[in-house]
Amino acid sequence: MGNSDNNGLSRRSFLKAGMALGTLSAAAVSSQAVAAQASLESTAKPPPAIRKLLNEATLPRATGARVVVIGGGWSGLAMAKYLKIHNPAFDVVLVDRRPEFISFPASNCWLADQVNLDFLTHSYIDAAKSHDYLFLNATVLGFDRELKKVFTSNGFINYDYMVLAPGIEYDYRRIGVDDPVAQMQLYNNYPGGFVNSSELITIKRKLHTFKGGTFILNVPNGEYRCTAAPYERACMAAAIFKKRRIKARILLLDMNADIRIKKQGFAKAFSSLYADYINYLPSSEISRIDIDEKTVSTDFDDYAFDDAIIYPPVRASSLLEDAGIANMKTAQKTANTDPYKYHVIGDEYVYVTGDSRSQPFSKGGHTANSEAQYVAEVIAAHALGKEVRWRSPQTMCFSAVDINPLQAMSIITFYKFNKQTKKFEFDRTHMMEDWNVEGGQASLAWAEGMYRDMFYR
Amino acid sequence: MKAAFQHMLFGLLCLNSVNLQAVEKITIHLDFIPDIEAGKTTFSVCARCHLPEAWGNTDGTYPQLAGQHVNVLMKQLLDIRNGTRQSALMYPFVQERTIGGYQQLSNVVAYISTLPMNPAHARGPWPPGTREYRQGEKAYKQFCASCHGDNGQGNNELVYPRLQGQHFRYMSKQLDRIKSGQRTVHPAMQAVVQELDLEQLEHAANYASYFAVPEEDMAASRTWRNPDFQ
Repeated sequence: MGNSDNNGLSRRSFLKAGMALGTLSAAAVSSQAVAAQASLESTAKPPPAIRKLLNEATLPRATGARVVVIGGGWSGLAMAKYLKIHNPAFDVVLVDRRPEFISFPASNCWLADQVNLDFLTHSYIDAAKSHDYLFLNATVLGFDRELKKVFTSNGFINYDYMVLAPGIEYDYRRIGVDDPVAQMQLYNNYPGGFVNSSELITIKRKLHTFKGGTFILNVPNGEYRCTAAPYERACMAAAIFKKRRIKARILLLDMNADIRIKKQGFAKAFSSLYADYINYLPSSEISRIDIDEKTVSTDFDDYAFDDAIIYPPVRASSLLEDAGIANMKTAQKTANTDPYKYHVIGDEYVYVTGDSRSQPFSKGGHTANSEAQYVAEVIAAHALGKEVRWRSPQTMCFSAVDINPLQAMSIITFYKFNKQTKKFEFDRTHMMEDWNVEGGQASLAWAEGMYRDMFYR
Repeated sequence: MKAAFQHMLFGLLCLNSVNLQAVEKITIHLDFIPDIEAGKTTFSVCARCHLPEAWGNTDGTYPQLAGQHVNVLMKQLLDIRNGTRQSALMYPFVQERTIGGYQQLSNVVAYISTLPMNPAHARGPWPPGTREYRQGEKAYKQFCASCHGDNGQGNNELVYPRLQGQHFRYMSKQLDRIKSGQRTVHPAMQAVVQELDLEQLEHAANYASYFAVPEEDMAASRTWRNPDFQ
């Protein structure tokens, strides 16, 4: 959509430029690009919104080295806070296009009415006020890393350091949907619920108004966001259907050979609590989705459905491409960064963290928070010409299994670098797969603590 | 009318401040007999992050809780509960609405005190014989030993933390936090930390990390796992 707009604009500029120069000869304007440039330089006045982009964003004058954090998710929020803690002289600006924060962790509990929307919703203004940084509600449009500028819908910002924590995007190609229009239709009819909060609201409505029949959920392959969430969501969806006493079947199409995490716990939940609701189908590689016929095809079978939540595999945000740092050969189009220090190779002033990182750490809130605490320290040390010893992110992950009362299980894991294979692998892992009420309460206390860390004092 | 109102307000404020001065602090000592079995159940929530052995992390992100004095553990829980010690993530876990009242806190603290200590806690980068170790020894003996003890044994009665077995990075991080005002502690400790520079503090923490943990307090091996949560 963005592309066609640009073409439209440059075509109009072309015509205007041609008329202003008093010639329509093709030789005078050899290409659209030249014409567009001429129009900007001479007569055609771009619309105000475009002019705004070329001005500096309205921000108080930087009081110290300016660190611009792109993306106010779990990584960016912790980053902004801990940058100020580790170097109070930093002038930190957090940029996000969302006007408010709605938490995805704990959102499956919200789907099943175990917490209300207030519990998940927090203010970027509160976060910035509590932790002494600036929040800019704007969309990032591009970068100039030579000049150390980031362009936003509110104008450009000059940075000394930039942290990219823009998260993920869906990669529909990896479930056989290549056509962008088909991708858009799929997104609008069967959103995955892992990127945009409107997706969650739609999913909640779907689960609470479903009339019965077959409801398809899937688990993507690769390093998707929040490993346990698709299984947890199947449990919550089943709990909702059970409570509503509707005749419904959840087909959980797992593109992986087996349950990826908390295997015993989820397997037990599927068989003991939700045997009448969940059909777990491992090794179900989705190869085709027909929106008109409402069928999902795998290599083995075609499945007709009445409604669905389709969670495609994910890739790093295309902002990394815009910044010219994405390695398009990697599965997730991540940047080439230093695995320990997180900066872009060849640019020690640009860092990539959170779910768009290149390291294979679990994509989730707690991981992003603990990682950001470390990387903030790395950047503060870099500004002083110092180094910080690497430490592992922590992945603390609760999964709700049953409701009324909420019951949950948990896992905590750490990572270490294997010098032989030159790869990160799991270090000590502790599972508590016997779900219970204490686990349910702990899961909400965990979420509350994390919100407290990010938004309040 | 307005003047009268202001006068009245002034009077009220005076009255209020006079009253405040007249109020004296009341300290209540309460005794609780801990129920270790119930403490184990409560600890199952703590263990989700602190791990069943409560041995902490060598990188300083979690402290070793095993072996710590019960009064010290209790003080930390109460300080985090009322916000004196800032720990955003711990805060909701130690509220009355989640963990319960003093009885439950006593139970869990007593349970933790039954756990054997990490036989391989992380020591600082400067072993005995180095210049930094000796500097740390000097600073420790001059500024720290009178409360924390010659061997870092602390004091349960007086609520002085035991330093034996604590991870080096955890101690140095806490000293940083105290020095930069992120953590508020006992005024005496606050004063000592202001007295020393960051390097001296680092050396003192290094020295403390080399205190021997009594054999009988330690687990048999570093691969020991808490059987209560297997």
